[in-house]
Amino acid sequence: MRIRESSPTNPHGDFGSAPRSTDPNRRFAAEKAFSSVLVSTVREAVGNALGHNVLEILTAKGLLDDANNSKEFDRKLQSIFGNGAAVLERIVVKDLNRKLGIPYNSEARLDYEKSLETAREVCFVESRLK
Amino acid sequence: MFRGEQAEMSGSEILSTLLGSEIRGDLLVLFHKNPGLIDTVDGVARRIGRTTVTVISELRELLELGVLRQKRIGNSEIVFLDRAKDRDLLQSVANHLKTVRIGGEK
Repeated sequence: MRIRESSPTNPHGDFGSAPRSTDPNRRFAAEKAFSSVLVSTVREAVGNALGHNVLEILTAKGLLDDANNSKEFDRKLQSIFGNGAAVLERIVVKDLNRKLGIPYNSEARLDYEKSLETAREVCFVESRLK
Repeated sequence: MFRGEQAEMSGSEILSTLLGSEIRGDLLVLFHKNPGLIDTVDGVARRIGRTTVTVISELRELLELGVLRQKRIGNSEIVFLDRAKDRDLLQSVANHLKTVRIGGEK
């Protein structure tokens, strides 16, 4: 999987309609790669916003145990940060989109789950293009 | 324009102030990734892709909390991270989070 450092444009068009890979092995590999990118992005987002002490405490408490499960992650963030959870989720999505070359619109309402699904599909499309 | 003052706040209150808006989150990330950054309000706004008008009130919150400081140099008001204060504030947040149960389980 290629991860872009920075790209302001969207070279793939409509990610929502990206076809799902039929090769289970390739899909599994893409899922694993996406998981790795997501967890590192979440770590960076929390670390950059609130520092490494906070990141280590939250990691020890299991915040990242199921970071791929966006609903569960959202629930955990809400329980810790309340309204601040949305701010951290925006930081995560903004950084994840930057890495994957997906445009980010700060004016639009954020749907964390949908944003992650879009990013996941981009990873799968890219793995198929390799 | 800003005064760097902060009454005694709990870790929870500090956390709420730090993550009070998306712009504040962007400012925190900017200064934590670039702890030596010194820039004008206009420059800071540009760096996070916002207008000065939208950033001023958010900067004020962080200045009042003490995580950022402001100083006049020549004709310019510059903003920078108070590293020692930032460390203290984040330690208070960390201490608060030690007592929090994720997911609400007790």
